[in-house]
Amino acid sequence: MAGSALRRLMAEYKQLTLNPPEGIIAGPINEENFFEWEALITGPEGTCFEGGVFPAKLVFPPDYPLSPPKMQFTCEMFHPNIYSDGRVCISILHAPGDDPMGYESSAERWSPVQSVEKILLSVVSMLAEPNDESGANVDAAKMWRENRIEFNKIAEKIVRRTLGIPT
Amino acid sequence: MAEQGENMNKSDSTSEPNQDELILAQQRQIEKEISDSIPLVGDKELITSLNNEYSADNIYLEKVRDLATKYKFIRRTRPDGNCFFRAFSYANIERLLGKPDEFEAFYKVAENSKDGLVKLGFQQLTVDDFYDTYMEVLKRLKNIENLSEAYKELHSVFNEQGFSDYMVVYLRLLTSGQLQKEHDFYSCFIEGDRTVADFCHQEVEPMYKESDHIHIIAACAALQTGVKVIYMDRGIGKACTEHDLPEGTSPTVHLLYRPGHYDILYQ
Repeated sequence: MAGSALRRLMAEYKQLTLNPPEGIIAGPINEENFFEWEALITGPEGTCFEGGVFPAKLVFPPDYPLSPPKMQFTCEMFHPNIYSDGRVCISILHAPGDDPMGYESSAERWSPVQSVEKILLSVVSMLAEPNDESGANVDAAKMWRENRIEFNKIAEKIVRRTLGIPT
Repeated sequence: MAEQGENMNKSDSTSEPNQDELILAQQRQIEKEISDSIPLVGDKELITSLNNEYSADNIYLEKVRDLATKYKFIRRTRPDGNCFFRAFSYANIERLLGKPDEFEAFYKVAENSKDGLVKLGFQQLTVDDFYDTYMEVLKRLKNIENLSEAYKELHSVFNEQGFSDYMVVYLRLLTSGQLQKEHDFYSCFIEGDRTVADFCHQEVEPMYKESDHIHIIAACAALQTGVKVIYMDRGIGKACTEHDLPEGTSPTVHLLYRPGHYDILYQ
């Protein structure tokens, strides 16, 4: 099993290197272990996360791509769909039926024909458009709904920190 | 930058236990315990072995009696949500063993199937491994001349999780491809305002999602063969209900359906 997972991860890595989607870099942290990747995601333009470069870690199960990886930001984040410890909570990282957050039934789900690239693109959309219905971070979801100005201020601070600019 | 990130994480991470994930993990564990006690695909057993499951249930016992007039054996599959795809895939290949011409014809259908999927928009990279595994298994079986060796090999491949699950995924993809190719026809059977493509992404392509009529009809069309499904439930009457899918085809594979689960039947 692990052999198939490794083959698939190598193929995806090659594809991402040859054809990187805009604003995303991803690959194994160490080429000895293809089951742990690091990704760098640029905050989408025109959003409060614009300009930030956000590092995240992806951990793949031995039966990947039958099961999805887990993803966790390793920088400070404040976002309705990201837990305070950085774990990302979006529907594409869950198989249908796994419904802790009550995702919409039409939301994109994990299946073996999804890919790292599709996950990262979904995360970029999530940064641009938080889903405040499924609050992994309730404070962030509330602030996003009720006090956008304050939310944007915090986001800006986080963006500056990811760039190493004093806040 | 990474270092800075880690530092922040440490100060921030109170790591509260995440209830949702704990619940999911426990659910997984229970499913695993159930499924580990049942092989992916079991041995052929006498149809009357069903009686043991229903010793105190007269409605079912009547129906087993009826079933036994038409079928001699049953082969059970693991109830993991993949049972239709696993059973159908297994029974379809099994019926081809010892029939080189029909096997060859099916081999050709399978061989050309990947191009169809890629044309429909499946990313080749994500299809390759499943297709390769499927073809590898067919090739392996094609080259075994001794029939009983071939049956044995089929059985062992389908009980090896890695191979077995990849066979399931590929049939799921072919089924999804068939639904999307004929989306005008299939869209009438999909409830709600989901598109055929949405339905495929949510109900067909993911592992462990159970199958309905629509999956079966599309899977039959994809493999160009028919299935007879015998329905056995607590409904009125002494006989089980039968359905040939797609309607009007002569079935090559016979499946027993009990609410939520499919097994293979043999005459």
